[in-house]
Amino acid sequence: MKTVAVFFGGKSAEHDVSIITGHTPIIQSLQATGDYEIYPVYIARDGSWYSSPEMNDLVYFKTDLEAKLSKEKKVRIDINDGLTLIWPGLREKKVSIDLAFPAMHGTYGEDGSLMGILRMAGIPFVGCDLAASAVAMDKAFTKQVMEAEGVPVVPYVWFTRYQWETKRDHYLREFENLNYPLFVKPVHLGSSIAISKVRDTGELKNAIEVALHYDDKVLVEEGVENLIEVTLPIMGNEKLTFGAIERPMNDTDFFDFSDKYLGGGKGEGVNTEYSEIPAKISDELSKKVLEYGERTYRTLGCSGIARVDFLIDSKTEEVYVNEVNTLPGSLYHHNWKKIGVSGVELCTRLVELAEERFAKQKDTTFAFDSDILNKAGGQKLHE
Amino acid sequence: MIKKFLSRFHPRFVRSLVYMLQASEYHVGEYIRWYKRVEDFRCVENRKKLVWTLKSAGLYVIAWVLFFFLLALTIPFLFFKGGVGYVLFVIAVILVPYVFPYVLTVPLLILQNVIQRPIEWFIVRTATRLLKKHKGIKIGIAGSYGKTSMREILKTVLETDLTVAAPPHSYNTPLGISSFIKTLTGDEQVLLFEMGEYYPGDVKELCKLVRPDIGIITGVNEAHLEKFKTIDRTQKTIFELADWLGGTKPLYINGESDHAKRYAEENGYLNTNTFVYSRDGVGDTKVTESNTGLGGTTFTLGREEYTSKLLGLHQVGPLACAVQVAEHLRVPSEKIREGISSTVPFEHRLEPKTDSTGVVTLDDSYNGNPQGVAAVISFLGSLTGHRRLYVTPGLVEMGDRAELVHKDIGRQLAKAGIEQVILIRNSVTPFIEAGLQEAKYGGKITWYDEALKAFEALPHLTVSGDVVVLQNDWPDQYQ
Repeated sequence: MKTVAVFFGGKSAEHDVSIITGHTPIIQSLQATGDYEIYPVYIARDGSWYSSPEMNDLVYFKTDLEAKLSKEKKVRIDINDGLTLIWPGLREKKVSIDLAFPAMHGTYGEDGSLMGILRMAGIPFVGCDLAASAVAMDKAFTKQVMEAEGVPVVPYVWFTRYQWETKRDHYLREFENLNYPLFVKPVHLGSSIAISKVRDTGELKNAIEVALHYDDKVLVEEGVENLIEVTLPIMGNEKLTFGAIERPMNDTDFFDFSDKYLGGGKGEGVNTEYSEIPAKISDELSKKVLEYGERTYRTLGCSGIARVDFLIDSKTEEVYVNEVNTLPGSLYHHNWKKIGVSGVELCTRLVELAEERFAKQKDTTFAFDSDILNKAGGQKLHE
Repeated sequence: MIKKFLSRFHPRFVRSLVYMLQASEYHVGEYIRWYKRVEDFRCVENRKKLVWTLKSAGLYVIAWVLFFFLLALTIPFLFFKGGVGYVLFVIAVILVPYVFPYVLTVPLLILQNVIQRPIEWFIVRTATRLLKKHKGIKIGIAGSYGKTSMREILKTVLETDLTVAAPPHSYNTPLGISSFIKTLTGDEQVLLFEMGEYYPGDVKELCKLVRPDIGIITGVNEAHLEKFKTIDRTQKTIFELADWLGGTKPLYINGESDHAKRYAEENGYLNTNTFVYSRDGVGDTKVTESNTGLGGTTFTLGREEYTSKLLGLHQVGPLACAVQVAEHLRVPSEKIREGISSTVPFEHRLEPKTDSTGVVTLDDSYNGNPQGVAAVISFLGSLTGHRRLYVTPGLVEMGDRAELVHKDIGRQLAKAGIEQVILIRNSVTPFIEAGLQEAKYGGKITWYDEALKAFEALPHLTVSGDVVVLQNDWPDQYQ
């Protein structure tokens, strides 16, 4: 039976959401297949790693987590010859992992950090690889890449904390080129955390201070008039499968953390019952969404699964790519279900895609012999 | 082996035995059979828990006293001279949990025969006298299966015009029925009684208590075959109802039950007061058209068209029977039509539930008989445009016919083209798999060790529009 390590939790504002994704649908679906031996790997808020069979049950995380963790041994990893989980002690236990299934959202996980470790370990892992994850994690970087590729994005300005502190007047002038209302976003945080909608310069400055409290890089972008927000889950490596175009039905001005994860969803997991699926938009708009979705997915080099978010001006019918989420909350399994893909089918397909990508990477030559070391210390190596 | 041995010394051991006795309805034979099958006495209470009643609590206390008493009997070995005393002591202590389960039945049998039986006899005799004075029409319903469904259909239809009463919770034993009789006001116009049969003579005893004016035999099959040993004895016991009616009072027999129909034909039960019902009609009145789907069932009986929310063409027979019983009791035809249209699926009997994701679950967990299963598979096979999943732990109490019955279920599932069959690992489900393979089943077979694991997995296996049947449920004693 294949050993699969599911990684969740993490040093991220989306720590709790990640726990839910890890269980619903990932662990529960993999368990339902009966084909995998599952090792839950929980990364606590302080960065400690734990793994015990009880963690396969979401209930474990609901009460007295700190007390439970204090009784657990931290798990270690070894990345020589694959990934090995090690439970130290007098009766040390080791388990070699065949495949990793990251369920991490946000920083120190979805941003490519975990993928880096898994690449070094040389095992297949589910979802986007390091580069796509790192680019998609930075909202400003994503817009720059997509803009360069000719995919429409709304006008924006970005800056770091240092730049804001040293060139504030310059950026205030730049903001004058943008039309209010504006959105202020920390570039690395997901789940709409610390995002503000502002209508004047006073609000803008305050919102920037809030955003810089959570991140050292901030994006200020134009709001879209007559806004329709839609999102498109995509699955695949080379050959892509599209989920349903989904329209979040939120009452507030924008889709914030509460809407996404706390806003009265009745079903399991996150993102369940607040959406219109499929979104009631024209065929023309749907076509554009699918086209830009595919271009974005391929340009960023996504693989496995990702979700592309769009902003639509319903009057002008302009479609803008807003951001890319390389690990959608709960894999957007509610959306896949609507098009006939069950949780089990989704997770097993993602495992297949991970193995397929890994097999192809094996065919790529990453190292070659050279005599450069022999020349070192002699004549200069570089002209 | 070691687990089984060590679990006898676990504090849970005594409680587990009391639970097993309670779940076996204090039938010693059934308890002993179960006891011999248990692998780990720490985990016997899976599907249900020990319910604290006066009887179970009393037995629990007696059990502990008895257990310590048996242990105390080993102490004298310690006073034997030489090392042999210690050896004998250890052997005796080890033997105590092996002897104890049998010894425990002694106080139970004493309690049953000295206290319980006389009290029960008195309660039943009082109820018999009370009911004899009651002027309502008494309808007795006997059969290996379909009794509760028949009772519910009749109750719904007759209630449109008459005052109807029936024991709650499918109470179908003399004691259960007697406790119900005490609650009657005397004004009820119709009384409906299910007659449970567990051993030969049971239905006859119930007839003496109930004194039915009308009888319905819903079918005969292999249910309780482990208790009856032969199908002949089951038939004879169920037809004790026909014997009571004596050919002078109306008797309805389910013609879709081969065992019931053949027994009636071969033993002269068919006469002018006997009406055979099926999906084709009842007595001489024919069903000319019938349709079924997830929304319900429609049929034309004689000249009247009826609609019911019950699912499956196998429901047409009982519905037609209810129409005729209602006519016999002079219920107006518009009231009968209204009653039939009010019939809805009963709890856990092909009861449809649609969840928020659009998956339709047909809860048929109380249906554990081969005829009922065949009807459900046939219904599921008739549903088009849906992916269909069939979840089952198989059927219990099939005796020597277990292999035959379960292979047949497998063949039926394959023939119906069910997309996914989910089986719970136990002694009979491999036969279903064998039947599926014999019939060259092209769908997917998925296995789970426990039913609860399968239920947990279902939300992850299904998508909007899927139809899932949960067929039968195994109590702990059959795990």
